[in-house]
Amino acid sequence: MMKLDFSGLEPATLHQLPNDNMSDILSQAPSFKLPNDTDFDGFQKAAVQMVKPAKGTTTLAFIFKEGIIVAADSRASMGGYISSQSVKKIIEINPYLLGTMAGGAADCQFWHRNLGIKCRLHELANKRRISVTGASKLLANILYSYRGMGLSIGTMIAGWDETGPGLYYVDSEGGRLKGTLFSVGSGSTYAYGILDSGYRWDMPVEEAGELGRRAIYHATFRDGASGGVASVYYVGPQGWKKLSGDDVGELHYNYYPVTENVVEQEMAEGSA
Amino acid sequence: MSIFEYNGSALVAMVGKDCFAIASDRRLGVQLQTIATDFQRISKIHDMLYVGLSGLATDAQTLYQRLAFRHKLYQLREERNMQPETFANLVSALLYEKRFGPYFCQPVIAGLGDDNKPFICTMDSIGAKELAKDFVVAGTAAESLYGACESMYKPDMEPEELFETVSQALLSSVDRDCLSGWGGQVYVVSADQVIIRTLKGRMD
Repeated sequence: MMKLDFSGLEPATLHQLPNDNMSDILSQAPSFKLPNDTDFDGFQKAAVQMVKPAKGTTTLAFIFKEGIIVAADSRASMGGYISSQSVKKIIEINPYLLGTMAGGAADCQFWHRNLGIKCRLHELANKRRISVTGASKLLANILYSYRGMGLSIGTMIAGWDETGPGLYYVDSEGGRLKGTLFSVGSGSTYAYGILDSGYRWDMPVEEAGELGRRAIYHATFRDGASGGVASVYYVGPQGWKKLSGDDVGELHYNYYPVTENVVEQEMAEGSA
Repeated sequence: MSIFEYNGSALVAMVGKDCFAIASDRRLGVQLQTIATDFQRISKIHDMLYVGLSGLATDAQTLYQRLAFRHKLYQLREERNMQPETFANLVSALLYEKRFGPYFCQPVIAGLGDDNKPFICTMDSIGAKELAKDFVVAGTAAESLYGACESMYKPDMEPEELFETVSQALLSSVDRDCLSGWGGQVYVVSADQVIIRTLKGRMD
């Protein structure tokens, strides 16, 4: 007699079961260990708060006529202390896919590299590159399975595939959004202000790059947890290319040069 | 974040040869957001006495107003300016009055005594005085400032060299602190002149 396939009716489990001895493990009722803790209701939240670093950063990406601009700052902060001013927050997953880092540095670095591995495996198995939609969905599904365990990732996956430019926002809560303009991090509100007022669909690449750079600069000015270097990348049909990496301290004096105080004015005040 | 880190601040005072320097950053923030980049943290009590107040900005402003008031009364009664050591005692007493509901400030006091001898001291928020012969620091960037001053300080510096040292110590320390910076202001006071300089720093 034909064996009917009841696998769809079984309850879904959070954990990947090991492949050996599948049948006896599958026949047991799914169960999970309880924690040895006095505070059963709150321990998970406490664990999340313990590992959760603040998403102190500014990253942004937007699609325009010529392709995608991806930009980020380079500051890593631990509470009030600046631990580094030279962190690479734009991660090169492969020559045509970029990911941005916001949240826990270790989480973002590891899972982006993991995503790169999965994309390569897809290429080898299917003899064609993975789409941006597919890559972002792979990451989103992995992050969803770790939901509530304290991962802190707010990333944007940007790339160019057969259908043209693609931009997705993926986070550790399991959210995945397709869009044309995103900014992530504590400085994102300031970046949105610049982006929303300066954005046009048909900008040349230099103007779009300058918009991204300016948005990061303004976010580093207002947000204490963003700073360092404003990196700007462009993703086009040939893949990504780094456009610039300017120190934000110098950018400030380029945009707002110091004006000398005229001494005559002060003397006039004295006599009046 | 603690209440002392709500606004963010960095203050340092250093002793030189017959002169002193007191310097602060210029940021006023509300936690991570920067509101102003021209906030005055150092105020004059009289020509030879300056006080800088770090910590919660509202308490710093109110405390300064109380101190200015008390000094004006002193001037009216004694017909002279207060000595720095006396002023330090006054600040300490005022802070301890509020022992069970303190001002969330850490003052840095710097002044030149009658014999042109420089005097610096700092206090915690309930008035514990810490006198030093070389430098004192306060604010969210205090730990970085301690390190920078310890390595850059030498005794008996002339006003120009003192200015360079204090500026370098301040700028390099606030560049490691998210909550302070966005420029700096340095007062170098000697017996015959006060030089106030604004520093161009990283605005991130």
